[in-house]
Amino acid sequence: MRKIFGCALGGLLLVAAPVFAHHSAVMFDDQKEITVTGVVKEFQYTNPHSWLLVDVKNDDGTVTTWGFEAEGPSTLTRAGIRRSDLMPGTGITITGHPMRDGRPAASWVKAKRADGKDLDPRNGFAIK
Amino acid sequence: MFNSNNATRAAGVAILAGTLVIGAGASAQPKPAPPPSAEKQRMIDLGIAHKTAAGLYQYLKEQAHGGQPLNWRSVPDWTGVWTREASPFFWDPDQGDPNALPTAKLTPPYQKQLLEKLDRVNRGIEFDPLSNCEPAGMPRWMVEPFLREWVVTPTQTYLINEMQNEMRRVYTDGRDHPSKDDAYPLWEGDSIGFWDGDKLVIHTSQMRAGQYQRIQPGYSEQVETVEVWHKTEASTMTVDVWSFDPPALVEPWYAKQVYKKLTNDDRSLRIRYWDCGENQNNTVVKTGEGTSDFKNFTFTKKDDK
Repeated sequence: MRKIFGCALGGLLLVAAPVFAHHSAVMFDDQKEITVTGVVKEFQYTNPHSWLLVDVKNDDGTVTTWGFEAEGPSTLTRAGIRRSDLMPGTGITITGHPMRDGRPAASWVKAKRADGKDLDPRNGFAIK
Repeated sequence: MFNSNNATRAAGVAILAGTLVIGAGASAQPKPAPPPSAEKQRMIDLGIAHKTAAGLYQYLKEQAHGGQPLNWRSVPDWTGVWTREASPFFWDPDQGDPNALPTAKLTPPYQKQLLEKLDRVNRGIEFDPLSNCEPAGMPRWMVEPFLREWVVTPTQTYLINEMQNEMRRVYTDGRDHPSKDDAYPLWEGDSIGFWDGDKLVIHTSQMRAGQYQRIQPGYSEQVETVEVWHKTEASTMTVDVWSFDPPALVEPWYAKQVYKKLTNDDRSLRIRYWDCGENQNNTVVKTGEGTSDFKNFTFTKKDDK
């Protein structure tokens, strides 16, 4: 399991924030990204937002549950992300913009399942 | 800071990917709104010439000789699952650049209100009433980025946005709006319409005050709209819309909204009931500073870092 913090955009002041169905994205730091590797604890496939809960093992052996927020089911469906894609126990590496206040939560930017499948919720707004 | 190339490139990304590009610490002086094309100016002038939404609607009805009632044989095929084409954060897609001002010509109080709001957003202070699980309501309804359906019957048309289950009913059976004394503010307003061939013309009044979007101007309870819906291609719905709102707008605000029919070949896209409060992790509150924050998560405590 690993956890990586990084600067998302190399100092650019213009940033691309996701469309948030019912709230501003100001609680997330869109200048930073965090990447964690863990296993899916629960996929809350709900409106107005979905939450993917991922258990991440820390260096000291404890486990932290991270929450990654995305849009709701229809937008995830448009992105090709179904509830069945992320059943509990699925291995995943996931990247998001972390909370500014340090809580273990982030807005979901992209993810790769252990079998290599990419899961990018932001594709859900593409018109096709 | 940033340069215009960055802004243009980023705005393109916004439209393609449905993302909002905001200037974190962006210029304190937003750029002017882009000027209208000649065709757009003609539509703006049409609104100005008729002074009120009711006046424009009546003019369009006269031009259509009162309109033609539909029957079940003449109901147009507006089926499918649709979504708005442009970035959801611009009421007028022609704004294009998130660092430009909206194309509305605002009265001084509403211009001041908008600039103050944009300044707060640039300082990371933002709270959307939708966080209280309010519906978007009309006219904001037109720009929300989720799935939509149009259901046409001879005497009513239902315009459905999955977000907050917001459905507008457009009465096309010849009825008028309620009397002034019976009118009261409604989330979706009161909509009447007529068919001009394959175009649906709608007049909406009785709306509640709100905002066109988070980084867009506000509107008053006096706002009224006229819309002309036309399925211009098999997968394209074009809507000419004029907003009339004397407290907020010095002239009608015209925009062309475009909705696209999604392919949905595998029929996986289905519009479901939208329960804003079903997941505690989505509870967002307004902080003392006036910005947004999650209340409590189910998976971690407030002081977990």
